[in-house]
Amino acid sequence: MNGIQALLIGGVVIIFIYYISRFRSAFFDLLVLLFFSAAAILFISFPDYTNVIAKKLGVSRGADLLFYICILFFLFIIIKLFARIRRLEKKLTELVRQQAKDNAQLPEKSVNNNE
Amino acid sequence: MQDTSGGFIFILLMSTHIDPGKVFVVIPAYNENTVIRSVIEGLLPFNYQLIIIDDGSENPLFPVIENLPVIFLRHPVNLGQGAALQTGIEYALSKKADYIVTFDADGQHNPGDIDNLLQPLLTKNYDITIGSRFMSATKSNMPQKRKFLLRFTRYINFLFTGLLLTDAYNGMRAMSGKAAEAIDIQETGMAHSTEILSKIRNRNLRFLEIPVNINYSSYSLKKGLTIWSGFRIFFEILLNKIFK
Repeated sequence: MNGIQALLIGGVVIIFIYYISRFRSAFFDLLVLLFFSAAAILFISFPDYTNVIAKKLGVSRGADLLFYICILFFLFIIIKLFARIRRLEKKLTELVRQQAKDNAQLPEKSVNNNE
Repeated sequence: MQDTSGGFIFILLMSTHIDPGKVFVVIPAYNENTVIRSVIEGLLPFNYQLIIIDDGSENPLFPVIENLPVIFLRHPVNLGQGAALQTGIEYALSKKADYIVTFDADGQHNPGDIDNLLQPLLTKNYDITIGSRFMSATKSNMPQKRKFLLRFTRYINFLFTGLLLTDAYNGMRAMSGKAAEAIDIQETGMAHSTEILSKIRNRNLRFLEIPVNINYSSYSLKKGLTIWSGFRIFFEILLNKIFK
């Protein structure tokens, strides 16, 4: 194992541990991350495997196969982030709305008649 | 003996009376400091309950309208028109509103049209009425580009909601309290118009389009729908369909 391989494997392991310790997300997410982490470690340790798998899948080079897998992985991350942002926006909207309703400024006449 | 039949016929022809105190006009406003006061002053003679929602304007609106008889709510941060509308609607429902009207703050809408929107709710049991600038007999000063864009968006809306309206992006609507509860807007941005139509269909609400007049000024044109905002709304709807 050369230096860059050790560095990349270390990076993947750290990201994986950080993910499961901080987010503890759904089981499916964990499986996807586990799969990508294992694949990353495998391809870093045995770079020639990428060429073998790539040829079986009809891709000319292993580097191209990795590139396509990266696109899929980043799409997964974008979708996860978007869903998270939506959940946060919803919570923020509820908080802001409640605050606005609690601090409503009433005119001297009007609504009180309907209460 | 004085003949009063003319007066009687006049009373019959008059629109059915609605207690304006039970009608809440919800006006979401974002950075409308220059026009909001005149919009409110135009509505005051009708004696409706006016709810202004300042959706996190950079310069707070309250000082501009401080002495006017309106209910004022402010979002500390800008959330979007859909969120501001829902805040106003929830507040109106908490005050036991019979009818809720949504009204734009940029001076495009005509306060006199509100009664036309309310009548079918009262007399024909419709749940919601939606203003349409394309049904109006009055010639509008709408620019051609805007006209084309609005005509196009009605088909986009049809694609997502199954309802083909003549005017899918008219901010002037009137609804019963029951319909407002059923609609419960979740879309914070401009996609709320499409959401409202979807919910009208999904919840089997009875709706009707009513002709309204829109006054285009250089100010309102600057703030209205553009091709770019049209695309943004389209992608917003698409993404929200996926992630709902």
